[in-house]
Amino acid sequence: MKREVGSKLLSHVNACVHCGLCAESCVYYKFRPGEHFVPGKKADVVSSVYRRYNTLSGRMFPWLTRARKLDDATIEDMVDLLYGSCTMCGRCNKHCSVGVDIEFLIRTGRAMLAEMGYVPETLQKTVDAAITTGNNMGIPTREFIDTLQWLEEDLQYEVNDDKAFIPINEKGRNILYTLNPREPKFFPLSISAMAKVFYAAGESWTLSTEMYDVTNYAYFSGSLDEGRIIAQRLCDEMHRLEAKKCILAECGHGSRAFRWEAPNYLQKEFPFGVDTSVELLAEYIREGRIIVDPEKNQEVVTLHDPCNLTRGGGIYEEQRYILHKCVKNFVEMNPPGLDNLCCGGGGGQLSMSEYNERRMGIAGLKAEQIKKTGAAVVATPCHNCVDQLIQTNAAYKLNVKIKTLAEIVADAIVLENEEKSNT
Amino acid sequence: MLAALLLCLGSCVYHLYRIISMGAAPEYARKAGNTAMAVRYSFTGAMNPKNKESASLHLPTYTAGLIFHAGTFLSILLFFVFLFDINPGMALLRVFAFFLALSGFSGILILLKRMAKSELRSLSNPDDYISNILVTAFQLITALLIFYPQLYPAYCISATMLLLYFPLGKLKHALYFFAARYHLGLFYGWRGVWPPKPISK
Repeated sequence: MKREVGSKLLSHVNACVHCGLCAESCVYYKFRPGEHFVPGKKADVVSSVYRRYNTLSGRMFPWLTRARKLDDATIEDMVDLLYGSCTMCGRCNKHCSVGVDIEFLIRTGRAMLAEMGYVPETLQKTVDAAITTGNNMGIPTREFIDTLQWLEEDLQYEVNDDKAFIPINEKGRNILYTLNPREPKFFPLSISAMAKVFYAAGESWTLSTEMYDVTNYAYFSGSLDEGRIIAQRLCDEMHRLEAKKCILAECGHGSRAFRWEAPNYLQKEFPFGVDTSVELLAEYIREGRIIVDPEKNQEVVTLHDPCNLTRGGGIYEEQRYILHKCVKNFVEMNPPGLDNLCCGGGGGQLSMSEYNERRMGIAGLKAEQIKKTGAAVVATPCHNCVDQLIQTNAAYKLNVKIKTLAEIVADAIVLENEEKSNT
Repeated sequence: MLAALLLCLGSCVYHLYRIISMGAAPEYARKAGNTAMAVRYSFTGAMNPKNKESASLHLPTYTAGLIFHAGTFLSILLFFVFLFDINPGMALLRVFAFFLALSGFSGILILLKRMAKSELRSLSNPDDYISNILVTAFQLITALLIFYPQLYPAYCISATMLLLYFPLGKLKHALYFFAARYHLGLFYGWRGVWPPKPISK
């Protein structure tokens, strides 16, 4: 806990008044109302340990403020409350009557547990895969290159240009584009969608085969040391390839982890630019670098805002701008934007199979939101959300398509040769 | 009572010193928003019930909380009025007494809610009950003192207990509330989350 500098931790552990009014802001509580899932309770398990060792009353009269020793019982409660009952969506922060950064306290608690070696094994395995293989799905480089090669052929066919290509390990490019390893493994079409966008924009870009993983599951596990290792690798790759800007693929936590947390992990300001692909897509459309036609996307589309991108990263205007430009019928979910409900897949929940029952229970809230929109397509700029929404789609029989923004933009693109043939 | 006041003020100075001297954690990520505006928003727009479910979904509790806290500030103001023997006039004091009765009643309602709801009981510790009782009692005794000066010894006891208890428990949130909202505003402001941006059509 002492790793956090400044009075941020001191302020948040001392500010909660235990009013319990945060309860309804939590998707776990909405799914299963009860004392266990009240965000204040989750924050308090961290604060209570702080009180026990850092306050006069906690040291002298622990019963007074229910200050807890960091013993086995406390650790057991912490693991369930902090890993198993929270997606770190940060919705409670916004709705806390006092202004306690509950999500920050949860992360602090996870950092304590990680330091003591109590990260759930399933989540730790994902972190270990990233550390040992360079990507969290353990995809061998040969397999990755093969995938890119057939995607390149697909791109050439799609844009009707034999010279179209997917650049790999090119030095001195404007952009180093990262990927969520789920893309080459399960959703390769989102890579070709982005390649089509880059082609249409005439962008100078490259992919890396050494370090392309945008995710950083250590952000979820709480391990600052492992978070640093993963962040440093992407930094090193930016330097090796001499790229000017790092564009983070559609991944909520990955974007947050590298754009906002990594500079703090590494305690340095990055000498290169870091943007999300959502910002880049919006920029291309605004600047006219790509031409899009909403008539090409006729179905009703709704948007799921990834928590880490929106509440954790301030990106909520751009995706709406993109959808207004690229689809004919865009409808908002209710509540949208900063108030949007987590899909249930955040906080590392997709990795922690021991909490699947809760995760898929929460998914019911999202399913209801989607149903009410009447949309045929759910767009979301996050591959973890895509994964969770695909499972939600099947479990709650929504019969919708789940797409990334790049896929929607790629479908709406009007290529130069198309324009010419139409005129 | 004066010794308790000095102790309480000393504790406030200590906590304020810690908050200010420790400052904000350095941010190495490139700033994307306006932190000054976000901190301002944290204390204003973000507190608006329409932006906060904890308020909009619990309007009776939220209203009782606002009245209770206004009563707390009023009773502290009156503490210094009495201490420095200032006479604001009986008419004004009667209005204050009425408001303090209302705020004291709000405090009792909040306490009853805490005792009645199992979720809140589970979240609560002895400090939560003691803090509420001490503040509510202080407000009600302040109101009564306006009409019954003979209650001054009881008032002194109530004030002393409250001042002595302040450094021990949750009453410290009187200071940390401002620090927490500042940090929250700073955090969201740096990332361009707050103040909320208009959504383009």
